[in-house]
Amino acid sequence: MNGFVTALKSELFIARNTFSSKFILFAPAAFAILQSLLTWLTEVGTSTRNNLMSNSNFNDIVNLNAYGHFVDGMSTGLAILGLLLVAQAAYSFSYDRDTGIVRHILIRRASRPALILAKLFQINLLAIISIAILMITSYLISGFLWEFGAIIEDGFELISEEEILAEISMGLKLAIVPLPAAIAFGVFVSTIAQSATQAITTALGITLAIDIFKSMLGSYADYLYARFQPSLIDASYLQDVSRIVRGYSDVLVNVDVLQLNLWTPLPAFVIFLGLTIFSIKRKNI
Amino acid sequence: MDINDNEIALAVKGLNKSYGSHDVLKNLDLELKKGAVLGLVGLNGSGKTTTIECLLGLQSANSGLISLLTFSPQSLCEANGKVIGVFDTPSLHPNLTVHQSLEHAALLCEKIVRTPQQVETLLGIERFSKFKIRNLSLGNKRRASIAHALLGGPDLIILDEPFNGLDAGGVDDVLELIRYLNQQEGTSFLLSSHQLPYLENICSHVAILHHGKICVNGAIDTLLSDAGLTIKLRTSNGSAAMAVVNSNNKIEILSSESEGYINLSLSDMNSAELNRLLVENQVAVDELIVKTPSLTDLFREITSENNA
Repeated sequence: MNGFVTALKSELFIARNTFSSKFILFAPAAFAILQSLLTWLTEVGTSTRNNLMSNSNFNDIVNLNAYGHFVDGMSTGLAILGLLLVAQAAYSFSYDRDTGIVRHILIRRASRPALILAKLFQINLLAIISIAILMITSYLISGFLWEFGAIIEDGFELISEEEILAEISMGLKLAIVPLPAAIAFGVFVSTIAQSATQAITTALGITLAIDIFKSMLGSYADYLYARFQPSLIDASYLQDVSRIVRGYSDVLVNVDVLQLNLWTPLPAFVIFLGLTIFSIKRKNI
Repeated sequence: MDINDNEIALAVKGLNKSYGSHDVLKNLDLELKKGAVLGLVGLNGSGKTTTIECLLGLQSANSGLISLLTFSPQSLCEANGKVIGVFDTPSLHPNLTVHQSLEHAALLCEKIVRTPQQVETLLGIERFSKFKIRNLSLGNKRRASIAHALLGGPDLIILDEPFNGLDAGGVDDVLELIRYLNQQEGTSFLLSSHQLPYLENICSHVAILHHGKICVNGAIDTLLSDAGLTIKLRTSNGSAAMAVVNSNNKIEILSSESEGYINLSLSDMNSAELNRLLVENQVAVDELIVKTPSLTDLFREITSENNA
């Protein structure tokens, strides 16, 4: 692949020196912190009122546990990250073409497929770092405001810490798996759009449209990678994990859907990558 | 024309390009020898930028062969920066500073022969080093854009409208730089521009693109001398002068004006010989003005002929 390393260095250099990449790195974590603080303030008020009225219920026990809040923070952060990554991917190539920067790279050292792969690699790397920052931040803020541990009601352990961690690990894995496909979708739109503005509005528009209409698609939605992303109308497994780790026993887990969650994004990624390379090779730049 | 000839920096043979049913380039042939500076001129919409974009592989041609230092446009990235394009709109990342932008360009070079600081100084933009590209004037963006091209020591530089947005000093600097790189480092240039006096000043060769074809192509000196001398003659004895001129087949009368001026075109004859001929025939010459044709004259002549 001609010039992949050079193209990647170029992408990383621009990412290091521009605002949009830094925003993607830190915005999901910032939203998770904000959500935790607002939740904590609300809960402190509710808990104080309940204590004054000598009322104590299951919700108070659940709300004191940090794991549920950690998952909520991750869920919010990943929903925002998903949208930001789609927007960034859509912006990546189309903006470079609008400004003409892409010409320098293509003329000097990199082939078109190498450039696209470098962009995909860079945005995925951005996603990994952002998720790491989100996890650390969400974990620290949850631990600071609440307490990590098993869910115990009246001396009976509803769910152990090991089980909680296993569920969180599974939930995060399933929530992260669709992200490369979402990024590849954004890059594909980026290559076929006429301008950066058109690319971003199209990519975000389609992503949000899938979000809104996925419930109407019924079981067919399970074959869409976007069905499993944490989103504004969240139907991801991470939503279920949020209830499981709080000790609720009314969560119905469909193993077949979890399997589709794990595998559906892969062919979607490959298809978008193939379409992108096909498109970029024929595009006038 | 052998397009893989090692002495040729750029060779184009039978290039065709159309946008829908509109043919922009029709069987275009072009050649640039190593170490030459070729000016590509043409009217607006004649296809200069399309030609350059096809050369650099940014647009696909319908047919034709292109070789840039023996590389095809599709494999240009294998030339490792030996061929560089500088475009009519400065193609730089608006959110990087000038210095960052040059560092970025340096990353794309296999080997840099000048540091970002050196090219900043060379183009006179060192005081804008920390300015974001988006805050620069068009002229300084153009300088930064040209600075990009100089980091890696390219063998062939293709410049599309390099003088747009530059002030007089900027134009002089760029002309001087092109001359320096061409003479000292043997860099070949293809310049596309509407600024014909600048091209006449710097180019060794010129190609006039009109109606999708190269109408004229060759060394500027040869083309201009072939175009012939134009003489503006004033004499008090107009009828005698006309008789002498009419009797000589090396002289053509172009027009006669009021106040005794006659415009003549000479072929295989110089102004001194004309003067002698007139004096020998008892025609007193009051005034004889030699008009050397310029590239602008040649361009106007070619494009008006072909338009007619």
